[in-house]
Amino acid sequence: MSKLKYERPLIKKLNAGMMNKFGAQSECTPVTHIDGVSVKSIIQKYGSPVFVLSEQKMRQNYKSAVRAFSTRYPKVQFAWSYKTHYNNAVCRVFHQEGSWGEVVSGFEYRKALSNGVPGSNIIFNGPDKHAEEIKLAIENDSLIHIDHFEELYLLIDLCAQLDKKARVAIRVNMDTGIYPMWDRFGFNYENGQAWQALNKIVESGKLQLVGLHSHIGTYMLSTAAYGVAASKLCDLAMNSKSQLHTTIKYIDLGGGFPSANTLKGSYGNVPTPSVDEFAEVITTTILNYGFKTEDLPLLILESGRVLIDDAGYLLGSVLANKKLSDGRKATIMDFGVNIMFTSFWYDHKISPAQEVSQFNEDTVLYGPLCMNIDIVRESVNLPLLNRGDHVVVHKVGAYNMTQWMQFIAMRPNIVLIDTNNETHIIRQAETLDYLEQLEVIPEHLQKK
Amino acid sequence: MLLLLVSFFNPYAGIAGLVATVIAISVSHFTGLNKAFIQKGNYSYNALIIGIGMGAIYNFSIAFWILLTFIIIFSVILSVVFQNILGKYGLPFLTIPFVLCFLLVLLVTNVFEAIDFTYRNIYWMNDAYAIGSSYLVKLIMYFDRLEMPALLSTFFKALSSLYFQNNVLAGMIIALGVLIHSRIIFSLIIIGFLTAYTFNNIVMAHPEGMNYYLIGGNFILISVAIGGFFIIPSLHSYIWAVVSVPITFIIVMALGRITGQWGLPVFSMPFCIVLLSFLYFFSLKIQKGRVVATPLQLYSPEKNLYNYLNNKERLQNINHIRLQLPFIGKWMVSQGYDGNITHKGDWSKALDFIIVDQELKTYKNYALHVEDFYCYNKPVLAPADGFVQQIDDYIDDNAIGKINQQKNWGNTIVIKHAEGLYTKMSHLKKHSFKVKVGDFVKQGDVIAACGNSGRSPEPHLHFQVQTTPYIGSKTFIYPLSYFVSENNGKEIVQEFSIPQETAIVNNINHNPTLKQAFEFLPGFNLTVNAEGMEENKWEVFTDAYNNSYFYCHTTKSFAYFKRNETVFYFTSFDGDKYSLLYHFYIACYKIYLATEPAVAALDKFPLQLSKNTLSKWLQDFIAPFYIFSRLHFESLNKVVSNDFLNPSVSISTKQVLQFLSF
Repeated sequence: MSKLKYERPLIKKLNAGMMNKFGAQSECTPVTHIDGVSVKSIIQKYGSPVFVLSEQKMRQNYKSAVRAFSTRYPKVQFAWSYKTHYNNAVCRVFHQEGSWGEVVSGFEYRKALSNGVPGSNIIFNGPDKHAEEIKLAIENDSLIHIDHFEELYLLIDLCAQLDKKARVAIRVNMDTGIYPMWDRFGFNYENGQAWQALNKIVESGKLQLVGLHSHIGTYMLSTAAYGVAASKLCDLAMNSKSQLHTTIKYIDLGGGFPSANTLKGSYGNVPTPSVDEFAEVITTTILNYGFKTEDLPLLILESGRVLIDDAGYLLGSVLANKKLSDGRKATIMDFGVNIMFTSFWYDHKISPAQEVSQFNEDTVLYGPLCMNIDIVRESVNLPLLNRGDHVVVHKVGAYNMTQWMQFIAMRPNIVLIDTNNETHIIRQAETLDYLEQLEVIPEHLQKK
Repeated sequence: MLLLLVSFFNPYAGIAGLVATVIAISVSHFTGLNKAFIQKGNYSYNALIIGIGMGAIYNFSIAFWILLTFIIIFSVILSVVFQNILGKYGLPFLTIPFVLCFLLVLLVTNVFEAIDFTYRNIYWMNDAYAIGSSYLVKLIMYFDRLEMPALLSTFFKALSSLYFQNNVLAGMIIALGVLIHSRIIFSLIIIGFLTAYTFNNIVMAHPEGMNYYLIGGNFILISVAIGGFFIIPSLHSYIWAVVSVPITFIIVMALGRITGQWGLPVFSMPFCIVLLSFLYFFSLKIQKGRVVATPLQLYSPEKNLYNYLNNKERLQNINHIRLQLPFIGKWMVSQGYDGNITHKGDWSKALDFIIVDQELKTYKNYALHVEDFYCYNKPVLAPADGFVQQIDDYIDDNAIGKINQQKNWGNTIVIKHAEGLYTKMSHLKKHSFKVKVGDFVKQGDVIAACGNSGRSPEPHLHFQVQTTPYIGSKTFIYPLSYFVSENNGKEIVQEFSIPQETAIVNNINHNPTLKQAFEFLPGFNLTVNAEGMEENKWEVFTDAYNNSYFYCHTTKSFAYFKRNETVFYFTSFDGDKYSLLYHFYIACYKIYLATEPAVAALDKFPLQLSKNTLSKWLQDFIAPFYIFSRLHFESLNKVVSNDFLNPSVSISTKQVLQFLSF
């Protein structure tokens, strides 16, 4: 018989029966395997902390999102949002599934090209596109989504220089009844700027107006807002056909669908609308708008988060336990906000990775940084963990691996579990050499 | 060419035939007869035989030419008359005008002193000297004296008599010519001859009652006409060919007894009588499919047969109203025709559709609510153009697991596509209808949403075709035109078929580039170039029957084609086999106007296009009984550039000759 695991003593208020605000206390179910691979073996092989991505889950998410739209609308195209996760292996999974690329900077644009996305299947968004990048996009027949008039004029000039018609769409912002209104991006619908921009594009004769784009916000919990957005874009498309004699080939409703994470400040698990519910509102709006069946525009979606968030896990280990001044328990983990940026937004679900005691304790989870802001969870009900125990943080696939920082600690390995349950490193842990590669020491400081 | 050569063995006959044809054509044009018929020689072929016949037996004189002229005019009149009388019954008028006119000629020349019989036939060797010196005579004599069984020499002489000749060499040349032209005709000639020969041996007709002309002009011709020319060659047609010969034999003998009183031959009158009565009989009595009258005469039994078989296989659905699947995206057939849940009795030919995920589950969460089911509230589309006939829209969705047996069809729409062709979709969601009774809907329009009303324990879409307009009408077997079907992860395109239970199906996504590329409207002009070939000019026309075709002005070739929303295909080609249009016909025989799924379009060519002479000849001989070779066509579309605004697609096609036995 092996030695029993040490459990430190604890005093707990008796909680009989009813659910409390911590829900059904499901966080205690240990997660020992991810896609059939044991957490322990992953940490043994790739160290701790380590990010793990499930290829199977990504493909499943993609297929079910496509099914939600393509069983409701005849022409649907997804474009993988590079900023959500631009690791090449990840992007290629989605491109293999048939996704285009949606990029918001020059380097993302080049990444998409090098991942084999045809230029014409790359959507170039964002308020800061440089002239050289725009030129590249024009030459590759990419879809350039114009954000402001200055960019529009620049595009007209560049097209004149290159003697080539750029394929453009405008980004439209609008009141969809939600707060905050993202009116800093693109042209406003209500004040007529969007219509003015469309007029200028068509009149210039230098640009080919092909689409309309909007992206009303992120982590949207209201489906109705997408209905309003779709209907306003349809209105612009109709007017553009009747008044500007230009057929809008596609309507791009951006992304912003929420994953099943819990936003900070929400009470318990607020159910988020599913992709199906968004699809229902969007497609019904367009189908009912009055387009002829053969003239229906292509519907583009730039979803990122909803396709990858729950395919990403962060595995970490306990460094120490503490008692705080007010008597609360605190646990220090080997991962912090430097690599888990989304802990500012969400109360991430965290599960122990091994058999644990049945007793839970309200704990503060800290990261390893010597900075006061490094709090992973302000209050989480966790069983009693000891140094060296492993935990699994759920739904960290989106944004973390693009917004992470190299601060105090360096960025760890990213591991992909493929559909055959084999593990692959898709980004190596950083090293000092890597960190210092770009550093230059001026001559006068070189003397030791 | 061989046959033409034979007729000029007797140059006088040839000249008279030529003159007669010219007269007949001039008369036809002068009277303003149908130009297409004139061009096909409908009004001149009887004149040609009359001319040849008269040229062979009379001396040329002024009186001869005058008589010929008037007889020819009369033959044209008779041709038109018989064409119209017999045409009503779908029958050809054959050589009736010739027989009647020639009888007239023979009867009157006895009293017209200015016209006298020629002795050229008796001293035909003089002519032969005149044309081809002594070598030709020696050659002809050599063959006539060649040692061969009586059976063979009779056979050749009978053949030569078709061209008013009477020698073995001409018969041999004709036999060779026929063999090169058509193996089926060749076999039928032999069958006709042997049957007549055997029958004669049994009944033992007087030798003077028989001559070569009667054998050639009646027995051999009837065998060819019934066995393979007016009837599509088959085992049945061959049996009837054998039957027709003794009957013709009897009529020849009987009629000969009557006409013999006036010293007249019967010519091909027995042939005409037997053929017309047989053809009319077949059109009335014989079970469909056993004996098939040649639908479009291509003047070759092989072509007739191969085209018939090919069209039967390829074009049987050409006039179907094309129904598409009534939904968007991939759905699964949860219950097919004769399904054992509810598709029984009068309602057995129906299809139920649902949506499934990767694990073949039909729902998410815990399947407690209709909204948990993937197919719930999904758009339902019009399967084809039509008018909304009837709508029921007042029945609530059932809770999961419950059924409504009072209103078992639930909310339902019936669409009328044509007289006697209706589609019905049931179990729809209440108040989801986008159309009302009397509306015209176009194929693919959203008409309602999938629901869970009626006898439906969980959301699904019921689809059926029916011949009457009521909700509750019995079902009718009717195929869906084109759809993609996925079974065991493999996607195929199914054409005019019924989706199978558990198949995952979706409509074909059309490729706009291909659709545009194969949009050939009447008046469309093309100049076509290819390396090493001269430039061709094509134009697209549409005829009175709404058939579209390419016409190549350079080579005077025709290529008929069809194009619907899914497929472009050629139906036939007529003209120069070395032209660019022919290559286009071969290369684009059938093209899917889609690139997803990347599935090859398969088809078969009529066998006469085969280039392999040996196998072709073998096949020709036994084609009426068994087809052992196939000429496959395959085309595959490949997206070259994924540019959705300006995509380019390459099409590769191939032809494969396949033998079943190897």
